[in-house]
Amino acid sequence: MRSLTLEGVGFWYPATESPALRNVSLHVARGEIVALVGALGAGASTLLLVAADLAPRVTGGRLTGSVARHDRSGIVIPTPWTQLSGMAFSVWDEVAFGPANLGWPPHEIAHQVDRALEQLELAPLASRDPVTLSGGELQRVIIAAILAMDPGLVLLDEPAAELDAEGARTLWRLIRLLAKEGKAVLLATSTLDALPEVADRVVWLEDGAIRAVGAPDLLADVAACDAGLGTSVATVWRTSGLPGPYPLTVAQALRRWR
Amino acid sequence: MTGRRLHPFTLLAIAGTLPALAWILPAPAGAAATLAVALVLTLTPGAGRGLTGTGSSPGWRPGSVVFRTALLTAAPFWVFLLVLHDVATTVAIGLRITTMVASFVWLVAALEPARLVEAMVAAGWSASVAYVFGATLSAVPVLKARARRIVEAQRARGLSARGGIAARLRALRALALPLVLSALHEVDERALALETRGLVPGIRRTPLAPPPDTPAERAARWALLLVCLFALFRRFL
Repeated sequence: MRSLTLEGVGFWYPATESPALRNVSLHVARGEIVALVGALGAGASTLLLVAADLAPRVTGGRLTGSVARHDRSGIVIPTPWTQLSGMAFSVWDEVAFGPANLGWPPHEIAHQVDRALEQLELAPLASRDPVTLSGGELQRVIIAAILAMDPGLVLLDEPAAELDAEGARTLWRLIRLLAKEGKAVLLATSTLDALPEVADRVVWLEDGAIRAVGAPDLLADVAACDAGLGTSVATVWRTSGLPGPYPLTVAQALRRWR
Repeated sequence: MTGRRLHPFTLLAIAGTLPALAWILPAPAGAAATLAVALVLTLTPGAGRGLTGTGSSPGWRPGSVVFRTALLTAAPFWVFLLVLHDVATTVAIGLRITTMVASFVWLVAALEPARLVEAMVAAGWSASVAYVFGATLSAVPVLKARARRIVEAQRARGLSARGGIAARLRALRALALPLVLSALHEVDERALALETRGLVPGIRRTPLAPPPDTPAERAARWALLLVCLFALFRRFL
């Protein structure tokens, strides 16, 4: 069952001549994790804004093609400090801001907020003022705030950017858990080493268009490595002049050595 | 009595009544009286969290920060008035303007935007309209915090805000431009964030913890309105 379908989507930001997205066709099924990779300016963030129904509705600009959304979506933008509501003096209230806007009854709001705080390991910070949090803590609060709204389609733009290694591992585990619960996840990330364990499919974007779609093995592809989109293991293997096909992970590299 | 214990509508009523009376009552005595009340309010314990962004920030002092901010904000008006008018007129208008400034600064300091939004939603206002009111009040500490970060960044690059007028003007330019540009940029991202968190026109937001509005406070608000009307009647009729 599809959660999101894009057919031949093109998008132009206001007052720009060249498109940020060109003829993008993509679908994300419920329970599936799709990762968008590409160089800076490849169009991954714009694609997420289109999927979230924020572009062009809020950003302005022009959209061509068709977008079908079958679930309510929630998006996490990479700058957590600009996503605070400014209306909460505690983490709990900040996370409850979205569910309250949905008009849910108070007991349902409390249930979803407590659940999201547990998922992101934020329960000990529930009474802290959000403005006193570190960047990583704030990032987790914003992710919890989106998950508390129980979106069917979760859109994440560089979700691990502010997180330390342990925080990132927790996040990737949570994303797998969300998919198991039946949520569709579309994420843009430059943390390529996590994708073999996390993503079901990888979409390689280049200049606003899809260059390739495939399993995470795509990140060990010669062309992907040439474009700087290989995993660390694949890149090291290639740099060392070892013969292809390149291994994707440490485990694969070990098998090749033996 | 702290401002934070009062219902947000009561705080708004007080902050509205004082400037109104300052202009209605004969100067300078009437304006001096309202200013005295406003300045006492700025020294009230509990006022300050909104202004400083967080009650736990270093150097946070509840009343004195608000009091000082009110006086410093009003000071330039006195200079301009003195240039334009005689002393008597300067005192009359200056006291009134200072009452307005002190009342607003106290309101920003004492009123938590989140409580105002909760109160307005509970009273049946649209959540979007309530948010606009709340966001306006929370803009002061947000801009203040950003300005502090920009000043620190500029100092790290060797720009000093100390010295003569020319040096200070240069520092002001280096502060103002990034402050305005970053604020404009943040508006775009904040709009995206609020949309995705459900703050869209026409929603029926669930009040999470609506502040209690006692009959005594409701009566007090009506009383403040009646005092203004009575003062207006006495002054002009």
